[in-house]
Amino acid sequence: MVSHAIPKTYAEALEILKDGTHRVVAGGTDMMVRNRAWAGLPPAFDKPLLFAFNLPELKYVRVDEKAIYIGSMTDLETLLHHEDTPSLLREVIGEMASPAIRYVSTLAGNIVNASPAADSLLALYALDAQIVLESVEGKRVLPIEKMILGPGKTVLDHDEIIAEIRMPKSSFTHTAFRKVGGRRADAITKVGFIGCAVVDDGIIRDLRLIFNAVAPTLVRVKSVEALHIGHAIEDVLDDIETITHHYAEHINPIDDQRSNRAYRKETALELARHFIKTLQ
Amino acid sequence: MQSVKFRLNGNPVTLKTDPTRRFLDVLREDLSHTGPKEGCGEGECGACAVLIDGHITNSCILPLGNVDGRDVMTIEGYRETERYRVLEEAYIAEGAVQCGICIPGMIIASESLLHHNPSPTDDEIRIGLSGNLCRCTGYNMIIRAIKRAAERGKGLW
Amino acid sequence: MSNIHHSVPKIDASEKISGRMAYVADIRIDGMLHAKTVRSTEAHARIRDIRVPTLPEGYYVIDHRDIPGKNVVKMIFEDWPVFAVDKVHHIGEPIMLVVGPDKRVVQTLVDAIEIDYEPLESVFSMTESVIHYHYDKGDAEAAFKEADRIIAHEYDTGYQEQAYIEPQGFIGTYEDDRIHLIGSIQAPYYVKNAVIETMACAPEDIRVVQATVGGAFGGKEEFPSLIGCQLAVALKKIKKPIKLIYEREEDMDTTTKRHPSKTRIEGAIKDGKITALRTHIGIDSGAFIGLSGVVLSRAIIASTSAYTVDNLDISGDVYKTNTVPNGAFRGFGAPQMIYAVEMFFHHVAKELGVDVHAFRLKHLAKQGDRTSTSGLFRDPILMPEMIERACAMSDYHRKRKAYADPNVYKGIGMSWFLHGCGFTGSGEAEHIKAKVTLEKLASGLVHLRVAAVDMGQGAKTTLMKVAAETLGLPLERIVYDNPDTDLVPDSGPTVASRTAMVVGGLIARAAARLKDEWNDGEHQTITEQYTQPEYMAWNQDTFTGDAYPAYSWGVNVVEVEVDKTTLEVQVKNIWSTYDVGKSLDDNIVIGQADGGTAQGVAYGYLEVMRHHRGKLLQKNMTDYVIPTAVDMAKTETELFDNPFAFGPYGAKGAGELTLVGGAPAVALAIEMAIGERVHSIPATPEYLMEVLKNAKR
Repeated sequence: MVSHAIPKTYAEALEILKDGTHRVVAGGTDMMVRNRAWAGLPPAFDKPLLFAFNLPELKYVRVDEKAIYIGSMTDLETLLHHEDTPSLLREVIGEMASPAIRYVSTLAGNIVNASPAADSLLALYALDAQIVLESVEGKRVLPIEKMILGPGKTVLDHDEIIAEIRMPKSSFTHTAFRKVGGRRADAITKVGFIGCAVVDDGIIRDLRLIFNAVAPTLVRVKSVEALHIGHAIEDVLDDIETITHHYAEHINPIDDQRSNRAYRKETALELARHFIKTLQ
Repeated sequence: MQSVKFRLNGNPVTLKTDPTRRFLDVLREDLSHTGPKEGCGEGECGACAVLIDGHITNSCILPLGNVDGRDVMTIEGYRETERYRVLEEAYIAEGAVQCGICIPGMIIASESLLHHNPSPTDDEIRIGLSGNLCRCTGYNMIIRAIKRAAERGKGLW
Repeated sequence: MSNIHHSVPKIDASEKISGRMAYVADIRIDGMLHAKTVRSTEAHARIRDIRVPTLPEGYYVIDHRDIPGKNVVKMIFEDWPVFAVDKVHHIGEPIMLVVGPDKRVVQTLVDAIEIDYEPLESVFSMTESVIHYHYDKGDAEAAFKEADRIIAHEYDTGYQEQAYIEPQGFIGTYEDDRIHLIGSIQAPYYVKNAVIETMACAPEDIRVVQATVGGAFGGKEEFPSLIGCQLAVALKKIKKPIKLIYEREEDMDTTTKRHPSKTRIEGAIKDGKITALRTHIGIDSGAFIGLSGVVLSRAIIASTSAYTVDNLDISGDVYKTNTVPNGAFRGFGAPQMIYAVEMFFHHVAKELGVDVHAFRLKHLAKQGDRTSTSGLFRDPILMPEMIERACAMSDYHRKRKAYADPNVYKGIGMSWFLHGCGFTGSGEAEHIKAKVTLEKLASGLVHLRVAAVDMGQGAKTTLMKVAAETLGLPLERIVYDNPDTDLVPDSGPTVASRTAMVVGGLIARAAARLKDEWNDGEHQTITEQYTQPEYMAWNQDTFTGDAYPAYSWGVNVVEVEVDKTTLEVQVKNIWSTYDVGKSLDDNIVIGQADGGTAQGVAYGYLEVMRHHRGKLLQKNMTDYVIPTAVDMAKTETELFDNPFAFGPYGAKGAGELTLVGGAPAVALAIEMAIGERVHSIPATPEYLMEVLKNAKR
């Protein structure tokens, strides 16, 4: 019988993963809840676990002139206080869960959990994050949008682990982040939004609009963003109601125990409109 | 079965057991540490909080495997410290304790907060406690207790 | 006057802070078994067949056939079975227990049990009345005929979950042919009396001990009797120690909650005053009535809240639905009604185009007025001073002018309210007949033998202070252990804001006698029994007379800011003034105020629980959102002394009062912020969006 593994080194971890028999657990904050059993009994997992959270090789934050490189097992609380963390990501992490959860949560865990309501993913989509996947066969690098397929679904192979999250350095003249949860802290997002823009001399040079909890995956539609880039802010403002039309097929939320479709949709669009109005 | 080693309240512990077990169960059932409580079982209420390498963590969603090699302190160990004595005095003086089920977790949160921020503002205290639910007090007396502890325990954190 | 209100360190604080205090889940008994409940997955169905797999040695299934006595949980209305027989009435209804030593095996057995249901038609709307109450005061019909104008509005409220942080649970043993239950409970004798009925045994065969309670708020008033009865049946059959602790989701899915309600108020207006109200409230009991009738009576008695209206035609119904049974929750029917009344008075004033504050003051109850049930407000009412003080503390009048600007998304709301202390009518004298015993040991230690439970509200510290103060002894000489029915008389359940006033009053009386009769070195026992104040006269059939021996009063002011884009509500500040007679410990009373207000305010805007065809949608602490420290605003609370002649040192009730005004205060603040009326709570952003949309149309 294959048993759970607590590797001491990253190389050992990759070796164990080789046969595709194990499931990687990072902090475990989602997996432990989703698979929980009666108190006192171990959670039920479909595969033996590989405990990766304490692998020292995966706990780092490095920067160069081009990008920031975050080891996949770096916890969110560390990122929250790290001087090199992009400010937008820091802002998002500051509103996520609670300190007790942030000390054991990771970006990698959030990515693989692939929740449509994940807050950190808003920042990763906004910052054009690249995800480094590794197996004994080697590495591959994917943009975040290609990484995530649907709720809980990613392209991660059975023998792979997320090794690193990279974000190219970026700067914006305007950014906005709004998380709407059931309460002001420690809440799952009902609807969330990040907007980033570069406005130069009244012209929109870059625009990124990302929404969460309004579709099976996060919503970032580069073709809609492109419609606005290169245009004068006044023209965009004149046309602001068309945003509803542009996102009609993308923003398609559900009714659930946390909110409803109408509220999510209206609020998401209103947050986007509100952001664009701040650009002038 | 794996062998998992960690330090618990300063003492080395080695356990041969299923590493997917919730650390809370290991503490309460195998090690008779019942100070951490189960309130929600999903990391929401903080009644199960313990310190891992000095940071607050919810033991109800922490797999034992992730504790390997770490330094754990529970309320059972923390209550032997000088910082605890300051916090206890403050919680009592401010009337911060009602049913008490959340309080060991609140103490752990208080320690984790003061450890990183020895003189927090009210807002910082609220954020520091945001993963610890209390249904009795409305939090204000707990917040006052932490302020009092920060003042009286100057230099300890 | 005594300085009893000065705070002392709570007697159990150190043990709780240090993690040494054992709650029921912390108790282990060698050789104990674990029990898990098999529950209905249907809202309403006939059970055609149950297939239980072959049980391994040492594993048991317990169901209705094992009950030696009545298959009913004895409470006020006896319609609640211990185990389902051939029909289930709500999702989560208990059908059987599986009991055994290894949780893994127990779980496997639970999963393997197959139940065949024949679905029956379910009722989810408030249509099937099972209890109807009605009362009159004055002549409402005449007042409506003479009215200048009649204004009617409807208000509704949702579920509220107690959300105590410690889920329900018991551990039990069977020794010497006796059943011994230790549980997280508010009412040891409720459990004991219920178990006696179910087991058809003698009172001495049952011992119930309260374990330290990790929060209750009414949720552990009647519901634990159900678990206690089930466990007793199992203990009698298996004769080994058994532990039965609820999981959080199981607890939220199956335990009692605050009744959802719909209230219609019709007001007769004459010369700028409300001369009559015709009010109907419907509450949803869920599948079993349980305490719902009593909840309904408190709701209808609160029909005028802190106002006096001379003519009333008040009625209410309990409706049965195929949903989780509802029951006791701090406030007990009053929060639903007081919310409706406060909103109504505001809405009427607005429609009349008069100043809301002045309009309300005109109706405020005064000493000597007749209560809603034609009883008498005998004691001084300090509300004018309390209102003035709350206005000053909160800068209410300036802010309400400033926030009237439609471009300002800020609001301030004020609620005025009262809460009847203790049981309704003659319940205390006729049903409870509370007794307390003081037992002085030869050593000079004085034991309080009372059934009152400290569930965090500070009952131990408070009652010990009353005894110590009266006896002139230091607190260290008083002993108050968790109640054990083998040792304490029935001093009643720990409910209805009665503990400080009634049990405390009896302790004060017993202590005074003990002081008189004190003999050093002698073992002495003093017992006192409740007698109702002579002025009390109550007719339960007509709902007339003095519904309560005394009333506590309160004012809440809540300030909010509403986000224009997302309609999220942020509570910025809360100010309160209260008259609880005499505070027996300021920290304890203010702690009750802080916690009660947090629950009351959150009931008004934050806490959402709904069901879909009998299945609750919010069933864990992630989805059922209660305030965190970040959500809860700073509170400023002042207490007004107004000693009540029959309360110990003048104390009245405090526990529930602090909850009942929160919802209307926050709802009124939200109304001011968005400039539209709130008719439904919780006033969530989703609801506010709907309100604003409808207003635009």
